[in-house]
Amino acid sequence: MTPMNEKTILRMKVNGRPVEVAVKPTWTLLRVLREELRLTGTKKGCEQGDCGACVVIMNGKTVNSCLVLALQAESKEIETIEGLGTEDNLHPLQKSFIEHGAVQCGFCTPGMLMSSKVLLQENPKPAQEEIKVAISGNLCRCTGYTKIIKAIEAASLKR
Amino acid sequence: MQTFEFYTPKTISGALEYLSDKGNRCKIIAGGTDVIPALRREEVRPSHVMNILEIEQLRGVSEEKDSIRIGPATTFTEITHSDILKRHLPLLIEAASQVGAPPIRNRGTIGGNIGNASPAADVLPAVIALDGELELQSKSLGVRILPAGKAVEAAYKTCFGADELLTGILIRKLPGGTRCAFCKLGRRNAMARSYMSLSVVLNAGKDGAISDVRIVPGAVEAVARRVAAAENVFIGKKVQASLIDKAAETLAGDLVGVWIPEYKMPVLRSVFRHVLGRVL
Repeated sequence: MTPMNEKTILRMKVNGRPVEVAVKPTWTLLRVLREELRLTGTKKGCEQGDCGACVVIMNGKTVNSCLVLALQAESKEIETIEGLGTEDNLHPLQKSFIEHGAVQCGFCTPGMLMSSKVLLQENPKPAQEEIKVAISGNLCRCTGYTKIIKAIEAASLKR
Repeated sequence: MQTFEFYTPKTISGALEYLSDKGNRCKIIAGGTDVIPALRREEVRPSHVMNILEIEQLRGVSEEKDSIRIGPATTFTEITHSDILKRHLPLLIEAASQVGAPPIRNRGTIGGNIGNASPAADVLPAVIALDGELELQSKSLGVRILPAGKAVEAAYKTCFGADELLTGILIRKLPGGTRCAFCKLGRRNAMARSYMSLSVVLNAGKDGAISDVRIVPGAVEAVARRVAAAENVFIGKKVQASLIDKAAETLAGDLVGVWIPEYKMPVLRSVFRHVLGRVL
């Protein structure tokens, strides 16, 4: 039990590494990732689960990290965009997004990539409709989605 | 967000113990897709928050001889992938699969949809159409079974006691030949609050006469209910197009008022015809 106004140690795995961080009960997973762990690839958008900029993967499923209380992530495995690939070793989805012009301002991109990653893990050759459903929780104000869908499709065909 | 004491019980008895002491100032959280925005907007300012997601007994779909039991902490995604529900209660899958978007469905739960008691809830009307029952538990009252149609008193207000925990959603298996359909209208194809939904369950006997029909509109009144007047148009009759029109008019007539203004009537009649067309 975490009493009010006190912090509790939260233990979870982030991008394969065990992490311990002192958190207040009101903090969300989004806040812990960005402010405590300095993993700022995950973005803060609407903070109410409508935009998907904060999407990360928790125990294999996409979640809006703004809608997870930090303490609900106890013992869970979290994957963020920082764990997807590196500058020298991009994930095939990241390469495909770049090749297909699916990144403009880039704000939606981490969330889009996490949703795409889970999609291709569960459904390696998705139909276009299935791609649209998979990213239906990620809003993009720049691209109009077409190039994002193409990039995901192309990545799925390359596997 | 006002601070609170946070507790994650691992058992139902642990949860009931906590609620018996702190229930009147405690908010129960499961997936958090409704609760966290409410906490952030300070619509609710509980001094205690109890997380029920780690209570294994509250999760999952199980099958008994005549009925299906669904744990309240079962997510919409888990409902959508349940083989038991695919076979026996596909209406629930139709409703659950259209809530929000995948990240919301991976966290939002059927118990939360019921407990939040939003007039725009999608899964609760489907549970009512399926004649579902809710199992509530508390230290003060023990186990209590409540028809799903009686759960909500007013918008965002259930009749659950402060120390009560929803521990199961129980739905009897449908007789052979039962057809169901669900339709949801929202501003967008996804990530959309329901502007209007309709759940219909219908059974016609071998002679084609309709023996049972349940019609539950959603997001048109503060509290979802079966519209008996529209249902009665069908009972004992054989399926025919003229009946659909008559029932559509009856449905619209029964509902018009504060919550559903006149301009939505053509939409309601159209949705009704569309859904009925799928079950007849």
